[in-house]
Amino acid sequence: MRLSDASVVIRPRSTWEAMDLGVLLAREHRVLLMSSWALVSLPIFALISLVLWDYPSVAVLVFWWLKPAFERLPLYILSKALFGETPTLKQALRQWPRLLKGQLLASLTWRRFSLSRSFVMPVVQLEGLAGQARQQRLGVLQQRNAGAARWLTLIGIHLETALWIGLMALFYLFLPQQVELDWDWQQLALASSQDWLWLEHLSNAFYALILVLWEPIYVACGFSLYLNRRTVLEAWDLELVFRRLRQRLGSAVAVLLLAVGLLVVPPTPHAMADQPQPAKPLSTPAASQAIKRLLEHPPFKNPETVTRYRFGEDKTTDKAKPTGDARLPAWLESLFKKLNSDTFKSLALVMEVLLWGLLIAGIGLVAWRYRDWLHAFVSRRRAARPTPTQPMPSQLFGLDMGVETLPDDIASAAEQLWATQPREALGLLYRGLLSRLLHDFNLPLKNADTEGQVLEHVRHLQHPQLLAFSDDLTRHWQNLAYGHRVPTPLAQQQLCTHWRSLFNSEAAQ
Amino acid sequence: MPSHAALPGNAMPTAPLDTRYQIETPEGIDLPLRPAGLMPRALAFGFDLGLRGLILGILFIALAFLGNLGIGLGSILLFLVSWWYMVLFEVLNQGCSPGKQIMGLRVVQDDGTPIGWSASLIRNLLRFVDMLPFGYFLGAISCLQHPHFKRLGDIAAGTLVIYREQPLARPHVPQAPALRLPFALELNEQRAILGFAERQADLSAERTHELAAILATPLQVSPARAVEQLNGVARGLLGPS
Repeated sequence: MRLSDASVVIRPRSTWEAMDLGVLLAREHRVLLMSSWALVSLPIFALISLVLWDYPSVAVLVFWWLKPAFERLPLYILSKALFGETPTLKQALRQWPRLLKGQLLASLTWRRFSLSRSFVMPVVQLEGLAGQARQQRLGVLQQRNAGAARWLTLIGIHLETALWIGLMALFYLFLPQQVELDWDWQQLALASSQDWLWLEHLSNAFYALILVLWEPIYVACGFSLYLNRRTVLEAWDLELVFRRLRQRLGSAVAVLLLAVGLLVVPPTPHAMADQPQPAKPLSTPAASQAIKRLLEHPPFKNPETVTRYRFGEDKTTDKAKPTGDARLPAWLESLFKKLNSDTFKSLALVMEVLLWGLLIAGIGLVAWRYRDWLHAFVSRRRAARPTPTQPMPSQLFGLDMGVETLPDDIASAAEQLWATQPREALGLLYRGLLSRLLHDFNLPLKNADTEGQVLEHVRHLQHPQLLAFSDDLTRHWQNLAYGHRVPTPLAQQQLCTHWRSLFNSEAAQ
Repeated sequence: MPSHAALPGNAMPTAPLDTRYQIETPEGIDLPLRPAGLMPRALAFGFDLGLRGLILGILFIALAFLGNLGIGLGSILLFLVSWWYMVLFEVLNQGCSPGKQIMGLRVVQDDGTPIGWSASLIRNLLRFVDMLPFGYFLGAISCLQHPHFKRLGDIAAGTLVIYREQPLARPHVPQAPALRLPFALELNEQRAILGFAERQADLSAERTHELAAILATPLQVSPARAVEQLNGVARGLLGPS
């Protein structure tokens, strides 16, 4: 045994960690361990089943009883593999009969029910101790870690059972639909007839399969517990480091000599760096190609294939659930009946209302809390805003537009004003026009419109007479307002006449 | 075994097996975590299961006197205890449910940070996948075959069950005059010498001498005095304390 060859990190661990190391050890060599276990145990299981065909329970009991005999093989493999000498499957199987020799009877009879079996096994098999020496050794080893070894076996029992039932459940679940089975559990439980023998043997076979998975791990855990106990007792980790330290210090002198020797020998020219090569001339397309090639690879581009499951076609043929109308036991039913008494019905109703209220309030709270979020996603297109009726401007160009501020007969009023206040007269006409445009023709005039824009609006009305009049009036108005040129009396007369013909006739109609 | 067995052919091709899980932080600090395997986790789960059963049993008996209300409250309670027991304890109690606390376990994220709500919810919701088809069949197999002992829920949530760091008792180093070695020691060698001094109480006297004798030649002392010498070196490494 050379500790430096160990294929595991040797250091003192807690007992549970030691078991974890066993699991890792079994995982590392799982193919070898499981196949060797299967090759040894399954033929023997088949043989036992054939011999005891009529007694399946006895068959599985005998098989279970023989477990310590099988366990010697994984222990042998693990002990070899620990120091890097993993045997092949053939070598291991050839060793098995030899392994069975030591104290097989004891391990199959009075030591069969020892809960720390896996922990103790290496003492017999690897150390080859027997009798008094073995007792003493166990006394030392079991001062600690024995409790953990017992727990290991207890967990193992439960795990075996769970896995066994699980495998049977899997088998039942994977029965094809075509195999019409109307198995009744009562019938199965009471079946003592020949018909169900094969089923019992099948479940025994499941147990044998589960052992293929679990037993190597169980043995490895016991073995690593044993290793850990010895590591603690004998400070294996310290020995390992001390030996390496001695080796390092021993070779230090040699290294020093070597270093001096290397310094003396002149370095050969080959060791020097090469002359820098002249840079290759790069053409633009070649460079862009090279850049593209570079960009196609990491770290610039990291292609990733994502495979996801998606919902396929909906199966409409939903199988009706088998309604195993399980009846409750009588005591439970009576309990429920008692609970249904009227005393608490009202209270229960209150609670129910409260809980429903809580749920609704919760949903409301969430909706309120995330209202902005909801708003952003739910009502993306806002409802068409009703175009607000633009308030009619009460003033244009600083002129009052209200109908009530204008005289009834604008033309006559203007005629009277022409002589004394021509500005007022023209202003009155223009005001009147704008007022008419606003109220009678519903032109969307704004406070900011210029005279030209008003004319533009008028042009859209398709009313040539009105347009001509507006044009005329605007020109005179602008001339007066900005140029202080009073229209000629003829023009004054024309404007009034036009006004009358345009608006008074309309009013008459 | 012949001493020339260590030929290149015998060299270990891979790193030796260990139960440690190393995390390197951005600052370059190595955090060794120790993932916990199936056995302590099974015991922790068993404890939690028993505790939950006890709580539910007692409360159900109390609720049985309340009729329909009791059934309603009992259903809510059943829901809370079966779905939230683990989550609440893990998130609010630094990754420890009571069972894990007793077994010295803890749930953390893969990078060693404390577990959060989403990870805890995922790993505990997926318990029901691990339980399929009976009694943690899939979970146990996954746990036994994963290098860091993760069940399916742990794989999905990116969590890890580790052993908690337990407070250390102050070790006793034997009295000896402090010494300095004329050559430099590497970190693991310093640790080994300190470990030698600290663990002498657990080792038999013969084994102690045997171990110390390995280093007698480099220390240039007689094998009989090697133990004392090493203890002195350990004192020297420890410094005045």
